[in-house]
Amino acid sequence: MMELPYKDYFDAVPGYLTVQDRDLKIVTANDRFRQDFGDFEGRYCYQVYKHRAERCEICPVMRTFSDGQRHSSEETVTCVDGREVSVLVYTKPIRNGNGEITAVLEMSTDVTEMKSLQARLRASQQRYHTLFEEVPCYISVQDRELNIYDSNKALKETFGRCLGRKCYEVYKRRDEECYPCMVQDTFTDGKRRVHEEVVTSRDGKLLNVLVHTAPIRNPEGEITGVMEMGADITRIRELQSQLTSIGLLISSISHGLKGLINGLDGGIYLVNNGLKKDNPQRVEKGWDIVLRNVGRIRSMVLDILYYAKDREPNWETLTAASVIEEVRGVIADKAAEQGVALMLNLDAETGDFEGDAKAVRTLLINLAENSLDACRLDSKRDGHAVTFGVRGGIDHVHFEIEDNGIGMDGETREKAFSLFFSSKGGEGTGLGLFISNKIAQAHGGSITLDSAPGKGTKFTVSLPRNRPMRDEEELEFSDLGVV
Amino acid sequence: MSETTKTVLIVDDEPDTCTYFSTVLEDRGFETVTAGNGAEGMACLEASMPDLITLDVTMPEKSGVRLYREIKAHERWKSIPVIIITGVADDFEKFISSRKSVQPPEGYLAKPIDVEKFLGLVDELTG
Repeated sequence: MMELPYKDYFDAVPGYLTVQDRDLKIVTANDRFRQDFGDFEGRYCYQVYKHRAERCEICPVMRTFSDGQRHSSEETVTCVDGREVSVLVYTKPIRNGNGEITAVLEMSTDVTEMKSLQARLRASQQRYHTLFEEVPCYISVQDRELNIYDSNKALKETFGRCLGRKCYEVYKRRDEECYPCMVQDTFTDGKRRVHEEVVTSRDGKLLNVLVHTAPIRNPEGEITGVMEMGADITRIRELQSQLTSIGLLISSISHGLKGLINGLDGGIYLVNNGLKKDNPQRVEKGWDIVLRNVGRIRSMVLDILYYAKDREPNWETLTAASVIEEVRGVIADKAAEQGVALMLNLDAETGDFEGDAKAVRTLLINLAENSLDACRLDSKRDGHAVTFGVRGGIDHVHFEIEDNGIGMDGETREKAFSLFFSSKGGEGTGLGLFISNKIAQAHGGSITLDSAPGKGTKFTVSLPRNRPMRDEEELEFSDLGVV
Repeated sequence: MSETTKTVLIVDDEPDTCTYFSTVLEDRGFETVTAGNGAEGMACLEASMPDLITLDVTMPEKSGVRLYREIKAHERWKSIPVIIITGVADDFEKFISSRKSVQPPEGYLAKPIDVEKFLGLVDELTG
């Protein structure tokens, strides 16, 4: 009578229960086992559980028979219907009155669902880890002492080793904490923050970064870390800067154009009025004004075009003396109108150089026109002159354009090549010298100036005889051991 | 010249503009004096008293803003009417109106000018 309840308990166990003898033959089993694995009478556990013909290499039941201890293992077994089940196996010895082991009780718990959940959890963790690593932002997590204890790939690649280092060392190369510190503020009040910062990468490049901070809390709600996420917005800032430049350019051009149109209006007025009054001198004067202002508009448009396109020079071999004589010819009429003498002072042998004929011509004409303007604006003396010179160096050709005009003060000298800076009031767009400098640099050369108020200005343009190699060409040569 | 001939001082760094304005004004019966920057303009004022000044703003050496402030701060010249003629007339107007201590100019004209409007304003201010 007492056996019946135990049999009920045995069958009610929510797992597989078997009792096995030393041969691993299943002596008895519960209902659950019978349901999933079918008849077991006279069969061995490895046949029933694993559909094997031989014993398993590692068998917890054999181990329990051997040492009398409990054992456990993780196994995959196959039900009678072919379904695979992951089980956790526990074994326990059954002893007779003399303490001898006569059988082993084996209990197997179905953990298939748990294993599946574990696998999904691992996949999910892997997915989040990949997102954390691959997200194109800099992510670090800091403790209260501002030590970085977690970081993603982008941060490591851009800022180098960061784990265990202070965030201010990594991001800003500082020796001490920043003030204010968004991370400390987030530790204090638990609030998220957004701020723009300028940080320095491992290779010394300055980056504009939009930084977000967010608290990381433990299950008790305490802040244990602060995550700092930075998005690189350097390119956006560069574009904004370019847009600002375009805005300035448009403003500068429209201002310049207003003056030029006013000049054209003046010329047209004189022509019309001179025709009406039969005054040929007035017509001639007006027509000169028209021509001059049309020429200025043309020059302005060419400068704008050059500014708008960052073009690679169209290389060809040029003869230095011919180039300067050509430029002198271009501005000869204008100089004659202003009563400015043009002089030429060339070395005996100036040689050839590689350059973009059109661009070099634009460069030198800009400088020459600047010199003519400097003469025109100088009312303190007569006898103005602009001297064109060429000096032939070994590696470079040096073009010199020197005037005895108004000269430049310190500020004008300093900003002469800056975009949109003009000392010529309404006449200048602030493009000419900027463009000239840009052309010289595109040729691997430079422009220097020597000037003083009341004395005049000397521009020296130094251009290499051979065009500079581009980076990739240098690399190729370097690979060949040539450079 | 008759006793009633009025003189206009034209201050502009652009010689073509000076030629234009002086021709228009001389055709209208005015005498003109031209100056290429603020410093030259001041020298002209010290030499003789014009009845009207047309003044550009952006000029080398001494800007129109500085010359204007000096004119309006000087007892001898502050009553001379000034017409600011510039490509940046709006900016100048904003700048001057933000300086409460500086008297606003008698007229503003933006380049390129409307000749009839220009002559109308000159007649009104010298009439």
